[in-house]
Amino acid sequence: MTTSTFVAGKGWLYRFDPRAKILLMLLLCVWFFLPVHLVGLYCVVALVMFVGALNTGFSHVSKTFRSILPMLLFMVLFMPFNVRTGRPLFTLCTLTIVTEEGLLQAARLAGRFIGISYVCTLLFATTIMNEVMLALRWYRLPYKAGLVVTLAFTYIPFISDSFNQIAESHRLREADREQGRKFLQRLRDLVPTLTSALVVALRSIPNLAMSLEMRGLGLQNKRSQYHNLASYRHPFTHFLLSVIIPLVLWLLCKA
Amino acid sequence: MEPSPNGSTNFPAKSRLTMQHALELSHVHFTYRSWKEEVCDSLFSDLSLDVQEGSKTLLLAPFNKGKTTLAKIICGVCPKYFPGMLQGNIGLFGRDLSTLEPWDLLGLCSYVSQNPQEQFIAASVEEELAFPLESMGLAREEMVRRITAALKLWGLQDLRTSSQQELSGGERKRVLLAVQEVLQARLWILDEAFDDLDQQWRDLLRETIRTSDKTILVLASRYLEEFTDLFDHVVLLDQKTIHTPALDDLLPRFSRLCGDDQPNPLEEQVLEIAEKHRLSCTNLQAERKRQSTLLGQSFSLHIPDFHLQSGELVTLVGPNGSGKSSFSRLLCGLDEPIGGSITIDGQALSGKELSRKVGYLFQNPDLQIFLPTVEEELSWSLNRRKDLRAEKVKSRVAECAELFGLTLSDTPSTMSYPQRKALQAAVYFLLDRPFYILDELDSSLTYHSALSIIARLRQRGAGLLVITHDRHFASRITQRGYSIVDGRMESL
Repeated sequence: MTTSTFVAGKGWLYRFDPRAKILLMLLLCVWFFLPVHLVGLYCVVALVMFVGALNTGFSHVSKTFRSILPMLLFMVLFMPFNVRTGRPLFTLCTLTIVTEEGLLQAARLAGRFIGISYVCTLLFATTIMNEVMLALRWYRLPYKAGLVVTLAFTYIPFISDSFNQIAESHRLREADREQGRKFLQRLRDLVPTLTSALVVALRSIPNLAMSLEMRGLGLQNKRSQYHNLASYRHPFTHFLLSVIIPLVLWLLCKA
Repeated sequence: MEPSPNGSTNFPAKSRLTMQHALELSHVHFTYRSWKEEVCDSLFSDLSLDVQEGSKTLLLAPFNKGKTTLAKIICGVCPKYFPGMLQGNIGLFGRDLSTLEPWDLLGLCSYVSQNPQEQFIAASVEEELAFPLESMGLAREEMVRRITAALKLWGLQDLRTSSQQELSGGERKRVLLAVQEVLQARLWILDEAFDDLDQQWRDLLRETIRTSDKTILVLASRYLEEFTDLFDHVVLLDQKTIHTPALDDLLPRFSRLCGDDQPNPLEEQVLEIAEKHRLSCTNLQAERKRQSTLLGQSFSLHIPDFHLQSGELVTLVGPNGSGKSSFSRLLCGLDEPIGGSITIDGQALSGKELSRKVGYLFQNPDLQIFLPTVEEELSWSLNRRKDLRAEKVKSRVAECAELFGLTLSDTPSTMSYPQRKALQAAVYFLLDRPFYILDELDSSLTYHSALSIIARLRQRGAGLLVITHDRHFASRITQRGYSIVDGRMESL
């Protein structure tokens, strides 16, 4: 009922201390909301993607982009129509449809969305889940809260996997003499696929709870740890880098 | 063979001095709560069973007689997570189960589920094994020792950092058996634990059970060759309670309950082949790399020559993780090969074209049925065809439902597993594909149910590729066979 988001590799991000990596992730997420030049914003997005490609491979970077693309398109397509201020770029009779301000805001929103998605994805792609858990506990997060976070980040991909499997099964059930599907038909076909994925997800909830308790979650004794973070060298340097990197990027790109 | 004090069949060669009751079920009644708030029929009525400490018991039950529910009741998770009304007394090593929570049973009782996927909670194999040991608070050195030994025993060293999503069905089952191994609980409950395993691991599981000093309860819906002379007691769950006749009476009775005494529907079957087709693969190659681990080599598949003709029944056997599913995915167009060709009647086809010619019945039917009623499920594909009128669709659906013993108004998600499997087959029957791949159809079905489905799909001359681990089942159906080992296929 869980799917790993970890992508095995040997890049420098894999050797970066998970505690420092979490700090870097949080600071970069904040960075994307600071007042920076649009060009600077996209340069940093490109840098994050480049670092991702170096560490996890180009195919993982492109897979991540494909997975966020529908949401990205949805945001970018509708954002310009919601902003009425600024220099009009396209008008229909007296009605302003798109303004320069609307386009700029849509571009900024898209940049932030891509950047934050990649930063979070990189944390979970380069750190095994148990070490994420250990790092969260180092930050004094209670065990059960840490477990909820790590389970969420493995359970959501599990639902996504189920969705893909069900979509494949639908593809196999297409009739031999079926006519080519139109766009609307494809949209309609998403409904049973989504419903099935939801049913699979709902059904798995009691199983997940059952398995956690059968594996001893609920026992009052102190849990021991199989993994530890002792193998990560120079944590202080990593923490320092986690602060310096966002700071330097801000100084370079601030508006 | 003498009846034991609890009435179950005793094998003198295996009899042993027993210390105490490991498990005592006394006058247990259980009824599931209906989500529609309707009154459900009870699953168990006055069910009693004693399992002595250190004994090895086989509990045989036909499908849908409640063996999995019984296992979950013993583990304390039913009715907690699967609502119903439970009455009666259950004792586990002298303790009253009603006073215990599931986590209290960690060192007492461990359970291997029929469906391995429902038990995975961690992101990797190693973490899966470590989680319960961390709960027990074991020292790290002890955890490392136990985990290393269990991974080695079940051949999982190269998979230790793999995600469960990247494992085959048999590999998942081995992970659960490794969890069982590291836990070292006093009572092991193994629900269809031999299913999904290939012969090597079945032999190891048999040997593990034979040499273990733990109390072992194996639940099964088929009597496998591997069970011979393995158990101290064999009992039967039927008509809501446990029966304990002598083995000589029990096995024929169980066989009748499973329909195995009925004639093989494939024998003397007359096929209606309208058109003859031939599916061929030449020098087919594919590669697969596990994303979550750097251990082990990337898997490569090589199929020098494979062919399947209309009306043929061909088996594919091979160890866990040898490439059976990867080959099936290529054959039905879900994955693209990196080399070679797949042709039907000499014509190379694209992935999309293949998916309309080769039907692939997944091992898990729940991934292929998704609509609220049987009628909607069966008519989904037919409704999308422009050449069929509504009345024609309706009559075809009704005929098909009758043939597969389905009720059109039933809700698939509440139907029994064999019925869901039959519905999955009925959906493909209506699609009328010239070729079908049946992935471990015999797993979790009686031989008779599996043979009936094969006979129906083959009736109109489809060529069938049946993937199985069960040598007995393969010997009953095979005309010709292939084996696949480490990604290389050979004709048998």
